[in-house]
Amino acid sequence: MARKRIKVSRRMLFTWFMLAGFILLFAPQKLTNKFQFAFARIFRWPLSIGRNLSILAHTQQPNDNIFRRRESQYQNYIATLEEQLRQKHQMLEEVTGLRQRFPLEGAKLVPADVTTAFLDSSRSELIINRGKNDGLAEGWFVLGDNGVIGTISRVDSRNAQVRLITDPSSGIEVKIDQLNLRRIMQGAGSNYARITNISTEHKVKTGSRVFALKKPGLLDTPIVTATITQCKPDDQNPLVWDITVEPVCNLETISNVAVIIMNPQK
Amino acid sequence: MRWFRFAILIILAAVLQAGFLARWNIRPDLLLILLVFFAVHSGTTEAIITSFVIGFAADLIGSSMGPQIISFGLFGTLLAYLHRLIAIRKMPYQTAAIFTVGLFAELLAYLLSRLISQPHIQNAYALIFATSLYSAVVGPFLFLPFAWWMHIKTQRFGKH
Repeated sequence: MARKRIKVSRRMLFTWFMLAGFILLFAPQKLTNKFQFAFARIFRWPLSIGRNLSILAHTQQPNDNIFRRRESQYQNYIATLEEQLRQKHQMLEEVTGLRQRFPLEGAKLVPADVTTAFLDSSRSELIINRGKNDGLAEGWFVLGDNGVIGTISRVDSRNAQVRLITDPSSGIEVKIDQLNLRRIMQGAGSNYARITNISTEHKVKTGSRVFALKKPGLLDTPIVTATITQCKPDDQNPLVWDITVEPVCNLETISNVAVIIMNPQK
Repeated sequence: MRWFRFAILIILAAVLQAGFLARWNIRPDLLLILLVFFAVHSGTTEAIITSFVIGFAADLIGSSMGPQIISFGLFGTLLAYLHRLIAIRKMPYQTAAIFTVGLFAELLAYLLSRLISQPHIQNAYALIFATSLYSAVVGPFLFLPFAWWMHIKTQRFGKH
């Protein structure tokens, strides 16, 4: 039986598609994200192959990189421990007699694999293969090589999106090693972040560590997150530093991360 | 139009863009090149459909849903109508078309994403310019394999 062909005018077609576009644009991101997560989930194999090929093409000495990565992991761990020790001493001095928990005591680390990475100057995000089903929620901190690399920005049942510290929309509260100043570290894309509003009266050294500060319910101890790579007076306001930092972990080659769940439900 | 082949091509381009090419900061936009290719090498109705589908694919690998579907759909449709008046068959014209469509479509997508409170990107305009330029240089050379895959006869393949 011959099928009746429905004719739709071009104008109508265009209008309907535009309408669909605007609906997608203004629909809640929680709903529209499902499309992106579904794509990442369905094509995780070819996406990861493409990413691994790209990493391989840029990695010439694999053994050297493994050793460097291990060294970086230990250094990050030591830096975090040193900072925790310093904080403990401060606490002891301030509130002697009060019982304190050890940092990250009772916290649960959920290991996850990176399925897709979007790293350029416009966005720095990872898609990981853990989601609501694994107990993840938005806002939780994510570790890579023992350093904070970002926070969970969107969660699906089986996947989650990690907004890295270098993403232009990322802003986390940090302190620079030895300086007792709380500042916001703003992502700048392309594997960099910036810390501003620190007076040039303070001595800031290149190579100093930057720590993600405590956040009630999300992080109960400062954890190393970045290293200062450049420090120069701000072009617009020479009285403050323009500090450029680089993550302590190589975000381009990272393949697995851990999500910190501070108070896991048993 | 061979829609199955079209679907495979779009998926392949999206996966390549989000996987292999994602590491490069400035890279050609394969979906933009495909947008111009289909706007130039298919009928107007098909060009409208392909433009929106390619925009949807670009949104899937983008930071939010909506901006690219609107911008690609709009400029793909405009290019398809323009192609009825001016034939965009020669390589320099194709380069110019990719560059112009790239500039306007990416700019509109960026402004739309800002509208839904996406963050401001440093050097966004420079990045849009560089991506459009890169795509314009690479694009016309990719038209040949695209035409071969889609079984579309171009000037280089035969008579019209």
